[in-house]
Amino acid sequence: MKFMGYPRPDGKVGARNHVGVMATVGCVNEVVLPICHQIKGTVPVTHQQGCLTVTSDLELVQQTLINLGKNPNLAAILLVSLGCESVFPNEIRDEIARSKKPVELINMHQLGGSIKTITTGCEIAEQMVLDASEIHRQEFDASELIVGCKCGSSDATSGLSSNLAVGEVADMLVKEGGTFLFGEVCDIMGSEQILARRSVSKETGQKVIDAVNRLIDMAESAGADVVGCQLTEGNKKGGITTVAEKAIGATTKAGSTAPQGFINYGETPSGKGLWIIPTPGRGFENLTGLAAAGAVVHLFTTGLGAPEGHPVMPVIKLTGNINTWNRLNTHMDFNVSSIIDGTETIEEAGRRLFKELLKVASGKLTKAEVLRYDESMNILTYGPVI
Amino acid sequence: MGKAVLINDKDNVVTAVSDLQKGEDAVYKVGSETRHIKTSEAIPFGHKITLAKIAKGSDIIKYGETIGRASKDIKPGQWVHIHNTDETYAPSR
Repeated sequence: MKFMGYPRPDGKVGARNHVGVMATVGCVNEVVLPICHQIKGTVPVTHQQGCLTVTSDLELVQQTLINLGKNPNLAAILLVSLGCESVFPNEIRDEIARSKKPVELINMHQLGGSIKTITTGCEIAEQMVLDASEIHRQEFDASELIVGCKCGSSDATSGLSSNLAVGEVADMLVKEGGTFLFGEVCDIMGSEQILARRSVSKETGQKVIDAVNRLIDMAESAGADVVGCQLTEGNKKGGITTVAEKAIGATTKAGSTAPQGFINYGETPSGKGLWIIPTPGRGFENLTGLAAAGAVVHLFTTGLGAPEGHPVMPVIKLTGNINTWNRLNTHMDFNVSSIIDGTETIEEAGRRLFKELLKVASGKLTKAEVLRYDESMNILTYGPVI
Repeated sequence: MGKAVLINDKDNVVTAVSDLQKGEDAVYKVGSETRHIKTSEAIPFGHKITLAKIAKGSDIIKYGETIGRASKDIKPGQWVHIHNTDETYAPSR
């Protein structure tokens, strides 16, 4: 299986050829967005972090920004700094530069305010886009692809159709030698022992279990019982009987291969195959974690219709709910209600979805991209805002 | 005639993908073969139907995995839900 991707100097392959305009701290989002609205070919990497959180979270944010910058969907990166943030903009620039992609850093305190920084940023971004436009798509093997997944706004059709179709794609991609990223600790909760048993090493399995236990402990310290409230009245009404059933239905997105390893949020996998990353369920932080891990395309299953995309990677929205497909058709990319109505098997829908994945990796736009429903994002932190 | 989905060949339940009346036949596929199960009670969309007898204390299998344990004997065609199923998941802390 082949796709048409963008070659990068570090040997990675992108599905897009954007210039990323990246805020080192949330205080300069107002500078990043006007640059991106002015200069075609740019995407805004904005967030609410970079300052006044605990040191471990600042390190997490810095590592995430570095690896977002290294995502092969970005041809070049313009870093916008305020000048007094708690992350280190020079280090972010130098680390991204190790991928041999063009990176520049501008500083709003030095340039003298937002108007001058926007002007300078536009001039730099314009040249970066012109240079990037000379990079052309080439044919690559599907083994070069890194793909992420999540589910959102799920309903009774998710565990019966869309999640299963994604699981088929996960297995097909791993068989082709590619990389598939699965996470969402809240969804794993209830199936972590199954994933652990399936993992290639005991160490990887234990890390999956530890990630779930960490979530349970953190929720407990905030006075919440995440296991006890996992099975909602809506779930029960929809036919889900146990926490295990809910979790296994969500974990089907990972397919049936053995997890090869576990990476922390902000990190990238060191090998191919299926990898587990402890992303949260919330889309803003979830999608960023997968993009920072190197995902160039994302498969997002939804029942009721989650609309969000992500600036760094195309997000394919698929649903098995025919009503959602019809009512929210301007947001939904792929329809697997055929599994529900019996006109297509799970395997057939999976093969069809894999073809769509290769098309999007080769340049077909997703509806979230066309609608510009892809600018909101954030970066995960664990500790308090100070 | 209603419809149901068998997700994995190891499963002992199928899931209704249409609202089923008591006594209605639900059609489901096993590979290319079509089978059916007669319901012994009304079963709504998204809910599970037993394919073969599940004795009290035995595993309920969906997705090829244990999703719960029968809290009483469940006969073929019966509805499987919280009234006859125990949770099998407990965090390993």
